[in-house]
Amino acid sequence: MSFSDAHSPISDDLASRRDMIVCDNVNKWYGDFQALKDVSATIKEQEVVVVLGPSGSGKSTWIRCINRLEVHQKGMIAVDGVELSNDLRNIEKIRSEVGMVFQQFNLFPHLTVIDNITLAPRWVRKLPKSDADARARALLDRVGIPEQADKYPGQLSGGQQQRVAIARALAMEPNVMLFDEPTSALDPEMIKEVLDVMKGLAESGMTMMVVTHEMGFAREVADRIIFMEEGEIVEVGTPEHFFTDPTEDRTKLFLSQIL
Amino acid sequence: MTNPTTLADRAHEKPPFYRDATIVKWIIQVAVLALVLFSLFFLASEAGDNLRASNVPTDFNFLDVDPGIKVSEGIDTDPDTGGRALWVGMVNTIRMSIAGIAAATVLGVIIGLARLSSNWTVNKVGSIYIETIRNVPLLVQIYIWAAVLASLSSVNLDQGPIHGWVHLSNKGLSLPRVFISDGFYQWLVVMIFGALVARWVHKRQTAIHDATGHDTYPIGSGGGVLVVFAAIGWFVHPVFGFVGGWLDQVAELIDGTPEFGLQLVLSALFVGAAVLWIRSFLNQRRTPAGPAQLSDDDWFRMIFAGIGAGIGVFVVLIMWPGLSSWMINSSRDLFEVLGAKFGDGRDGAPFDAMRPNVVKPGNFANYGPNGLNLTIGFAAVFFGVVLYTAAFIGEIVRGGILAIPKGQTEAAAAVGLRRSTQLRMVILPQAIRIILPPVGNQYLNLAKNTSLAIAVGYSDLVQVGQTIGNQTGKPLPVFAIWMLFYLAVSLTISVVVNFFNVRLKIVER
Repeated sequence: MSFSDAHSPISDDLASRRDMIVCDNVNKWYGDFQALKDVSATIKEQEVVVVLGPSGSGKSTWIRCINRLEVHQKGMIAVDGVELSNDLRNIEKIRSEVGMVFQQFNLFPHLTVIDNITLAPRWVRKLPKSDADARARALLDRVGIPEQADKYPGQLSGGQQQRVAIARALAMEPNVMLFDEPTSALDPEMIKEVLDVMKGLAESGMTMMVVTHEMGFAREVADRIIFMEEGEIVEVGTPEHFFTDPTEDRTKLFLSQIL
Repeated sequence: MTNPTTLADRAHEKPPFYRDATIVKWIIQVAVLALVLFSLFFLASEAGDNLRASNVPTDFNFLDVDPGIKVSEGIDTDPDTGGRALWVGMVNTIRMSIAGIAAATVLGVIIGLARLSSNWTVNKVGSIYIETIRNVPLLVQIYIWAAVLASLSSVNLDQGPIHGWVHLSNKGLSLPRVFISDGFYQWLVVMIFGALVARWVHKRQTAIHDATGHDTYPIGSGGGVLVVFAAIGWFVHPVFGFVGGWLDQVAELIDGTPEFGLQLVLSALFVGAAVLWIRSFLNQRRTPAGPAQLSDDDWFRMIFAGIGAGIGVFVVLIMWPGLSSWMINSSRDLFEVLGAKFGDGRDGAPFDAMRPNVVKPGNFANYGPNGLNLTIGFAAVFFGVVLYTAAFIGEIVRGGILAIPKGQTEAAAAVGLRRSTQLRMVILPQAIRIILPPVGNQYLNLAKNTSLAIAVGYSDLVQVGQTIGNQTGKPLPVFAIWMLFYLAVSLTISVVVNFFNVRLKIVER
């Protein structure tokens, strides 16, 4: 697709990689209100893309369309070569390969931390309980809270809950991780612990699409930044380009308001 | 005294007693307790005086004499005593309540899910059902059902169910009656073994599922084991006749227990229970830093526990010494009766069945005692309370499911769970916690609403009691029995619902 290419020179290394997420002229309306307008973008394997924009700009709607928590009405979305359609098999396949982390954590309050993490591996992947438990404990170790395995979500702090949510998504061994404002509901002192886990994930080569307001994270971790406003993509570029030398006026205005 | 006194200056002073929180609380607790006891005593003595003065009989003698009435349906249609007649009524009420609760739950859940359905027709049918049923008084609905069912064709000797299995008429529904027979108790012994084996199989299949992830159907396997045992037990149960000897020995053992020994054991149980309760209570109050400071309320509770144990010991040893001999005699009788069930010649089939019949004792034909007869009255009350309660349960179920945040469904969907698994593993386990307490209230309502049976002549406790009260001219004792019975039923339902409520609680910090 020409739009993103024209505005953001992708390095040769990136261009040669596999397409993980392809969006082609995606449109969505809520009644008369158009939430997404011809959104097109391609996210490559192992790429970290941060989506920025003012509230109401359609960032969350877009990311939620990618695993079909919202249904787009026009255009095409494909994840790892599988197109999203009304075919439930495709949707279930994509969802089990795309991990998602929510703003409000959405842990299952009636299950212990370990059961939260093993639920999908056991019921979707049909993993033996012992294997699923071992995998879950390894993931809890990775996100830094191995000692919380047998507690309930209500007994954890916000930052710990969000890290459990990340472990829950990773337990399905996804190819792509979607983050929908993962730190917006957290107290300031807990934001760092979650961002550190996300950085570690990015360094390990996970393909990530992150909607966030954390400019520091965007600058440090992102391979590319996509700026959205009023449902359309305004500008795409590397963090360096975006923060130091944006081309569009709307981007400049946004940056002047938040920086 | 020109110096202004501050609170800090007065910190070491003792406050006046009416500003001392500890003393105030004690005074209030003791005063409330005294007031309640006094009011009860006053009301009771006042009522007693008035009743004596106006010569209203309050004795319960009618329980032991021939009531001179027949009961139209139940475990005994021609009871010997008033007490037996009331018991038949109670069993009918309990029967109606249990059947009603089971049916109303199933129907209510279906209605609730229907109202959540995205299928337009199903959704609207659910809405219309709820809006119609819950806006018409239950009594009217029961009358309507009775009228509709009374328009069925009548019974007569020629075309009765003599050669058939099922018969429906304006006298009700007659089905084959299945009853326990000679070999039942031996067969029950086989089934106890079966239950143990089934439990073991269930656990084992669950463990295999956990270890390998294969589908092992633990519930189906356990049920299968039970069925196999039931079938084998049908043929081999006479082998277990010897259990009767054991039960007889237990009865002898109980008979040999000295009365005073049982009194001591019971007293020790009361004291032990109080001590255990206080200990666990103190343990709850313990913090990692050591025992927490006890509030006045904590002290009241522990003192009341002690007083309760004291009252128990007083009752057992002094006030009612006959209690222990009564307990010894009745438990001995129980084991003797059980033992006799295993006696000689009792190796027939565990169950037997009889087909419905029609008799014509007077001018009108009716179903005879061979079949299981559900009268029109039963059906009218049953349909009435079930449909009515199901409408409310449906709304509760719908509300409970809608109360689960949308994020839960989204999170469950995002990890790839199918819609059915999302419901089963994520939504319903949380919704049940919201649904259960108000559904418990509906169960209570249903049990109490069965008393409307009197309107269509179903022989529940109220209907039988009303007849006996009129016959003997002793309505007050009957009222007392009604109240105690419904209280007992309601408390039982509450206890069961609360048990599940506590078990399902979500752990918070």
